Amino acid sequence: MPFPNVRLTNRPLHFIYICDCSGSMAAQGKIQALNQAIRQSLPGMAEVARQNPEARVLVRAVSFADRACWHLEKPTAVQQLQWLDLQAGGITAMGEALELVAGVLQSPPMEERALPPVLVLISDGQPTDDFDAGLASLMRQPWAQKAVRLAIAMGHDADTEVLQQFIGTEPGGGLPSGEIPGASGQTPLHRSGRSPRRPLQASNATSLAQYIQWASTAVVGAASMPISRMTGSEHQANIPLPDLPPTLMDPIDDVGPLVW
Amino acid sequence: MTWILPEGACLDLEGIPGPVHVLHGLGGGTQGQVFEVEVASERLALKWYLPACIARDPHLERRLGESIRATTPSDAFLWPLALVKPGPGTVPLLRSRDPGFGYLMELRPPGFVGAHEHVGGHLAISLLQVLRASFFLAEAFHALHLKGLCYKDISLGNLFLEPSSGRILICDNDNVDVDGRDLGAVLGTPGFMAPEILMGLARPGANSDLFSLAVLIFRLLTRHDPLRGRRELAIRCLDEPARRRLYGEDPLFIFDPVDPSNRPDPIEHAAALITWPIYPEPIKQLFEQTFGAGLQAPQRRALTGQWMTALAAALDQRQLCAHCGQETFPAPSDPGPLCWSCGCPLPHPARLKLPHGLVTAAAGNALYPHHFDRLLPLQLKAPLAQVEAHPSQATLLGLRNLSGQTWRAELSNGNRMAVEPGQTCNLSPLVRLTTPAGAVELQS
Repeated sequence: MPFPNVRLTNRPLHFIYICDCSGSMAAQGKIQALNQAIRQSLPGMAEVARQNPEARVLVRAVSFADRACWHLEKPTAVQQLQWLDLQAGGITAMGEALELVAGVLQSPPMEERALPPVLVLISDGQPTDDFDAGLASLMRQPWAQKAVRLAIAMGHDADTEVLQQFIGTEPGGGLPSGEIPGASGQTPLHRSGRSPRRPLQASNATSLAQYIQWASTAVVGAASMPISRMTGSEHQANIPLPDLPPTLMDPIDDVGPLVW
Repeated sequence: MTWILPEGACLDLEGIPGPVHVLHGLGGGTQGQVFEVEVASERLALKWYLPACIARDPHLERRLGESIRATTPSDAFLWPLALVKPGPGTVPLLRSRDPGFGYLMELRPPGFVGAHEHVGGHLAISLLQVLRASFFLAEAFHALHLKGLCYKDISLGNLFLEPSSGRILICDNDNVDVDGRDLGAVLGTPGFMAPEILMGLARPGANSDLFSLAVLIFRLLTRHDPLRGRRELAIRCLDEPARRRLYGEDPLFIFDPVDPSNRPDPIEHAAALITWPIYPEPIKQLFEQTFGAGLQAPQRRALTGQWMTALAAALDQRQLCAHCGQETFPAPSDPGPLCWSCGCPLPHPARLKLPHGLVTAAAGNALYPHHFDRLLPLQLKAPLAQVEAHPSQATLLGLRNLSGQTWRAELSNGNRMAVEPGQTCNLSPLVRLTTPAGAVELQS
């Protein structure tokens, strides 16, 4: 006879992409690279979700250009997700996008009990609307404060200062908000000066894909199930983040923008 | 994925003679990447560490070297076989600035799936095999601890099961250390870590392994977590500080016999409430001990040998409900047992009386050498006999001779007959079997 048909109750893990679809994303195939990177990351994300009996991974996506709107509004189980391509064109209503996210992080519609949400902001430019108001509105939500907030800067025109404001300051005293990693000359915490608590610089399609993969697998894993703990990793905010993907194998990463 | 070792390449590696042919990458995580390789026409797995992992864990290489010299405690471990470092010709081929090192191990055989598949309810597996898997897990830690070693970081993530046999494999043996020496950086995984480790009051070792082992057995047997009851419902966002409260600062077993304040919620924690009544009292007592007094007092935790005894005894009393067919585990001393699944009374079963034990006559139950000789260690891998249903008449039970020697059967009409190896002897007319291991008597 089979084991009784029961399982550990799981909690939802809301994963929200916040994607810049302004006109500049149409240049040099950036929007195509982003669509590809997200689509390619889905099988790995589904696998992580399956490996974790404690979580129900639900994906949504906001796109922002002239206005912000839901690209994928219904929280969708990653196993059922079919990614529809984002289209580029317009300006950069990033603040409005954060307002939209703030709307879904209040209860309701947020469930009473959940895992920390994961918010991934991807941008190649500067907000053209009231970013501060949008961020303030987002950060009034307790679930946004608890969320793992990551930011990916595509190319050298991205405003890393606003991205750092979205992430918040590093726990345990990292670089001051907005400072470019390595620029201060102080020894960085991570070997290549990168940290998941700073904007991730995707200088090319390969590193973009690596970061998207990392966010949708390693970070989803860390936010949804406890991960192996090492000495010295005791005080790492409310979710300890996994190591960034190794870019040593990709020697042109971290040297600044090449193409865009 | 970008693979550190180029697929298809033949690498010269220090640590083993002959080249290593990298066939393809199998997977990667934050620690390193695993490849399928061919060495001297043998297929093996090669784990290669990322530089960040080596930097965080300065004694990793030394521990691995010592584990390799110590050799595997049992066949349940995918144990490191050889430590390898890149030879001069290999360094330029690696897609990493720091050459690093890795180790060879056996490939995980097909048929083994991650234990999370069972806990997540994705797997069809019988209670028999879940109890066997729990026994094999306790047995593996027994062997590891008897070698003076400890594992430190057991969790669902490094346990694999074969659903058809209950056999297990323990992977990621690179944190193994001599107990008490503490040459490692790993602390464990929250939810499986003992409270004193999570709170930073002690370092992981064999005593904290005993806590993690109990959590893992609990999760296998119930598909639930031992410390997540009503107190969890008060937690809105289950993040690190919340896990620290649940598992470290203020842990309370959901079935604590004295304090019922963290009982499972009937809706949110139904799995625990449905599965807990299945198991015999001695198993429950080991959980109560480990998650009761053992929460604060590591030396009070149930030992590996106690788990083996209780789990093997549960398997001996396994009985199939005549009404619903479900596997039940009533104690022989229980005067009026009911099926945990359908609630029907369980009739008094036929039992096989052995020199050291009593085994219920139910299809799938087996007799092992330890049933005949008290001095033999408990083991569930090489049965001498197994109870089986007749292939076309399911109600007819027999005992198959799995030993290599002939048995003599004494029937109720006084006749005697031989039961050759591989043959099955009908239990209904049986009075007594004489085997070279000892006597088997039928008790109706």
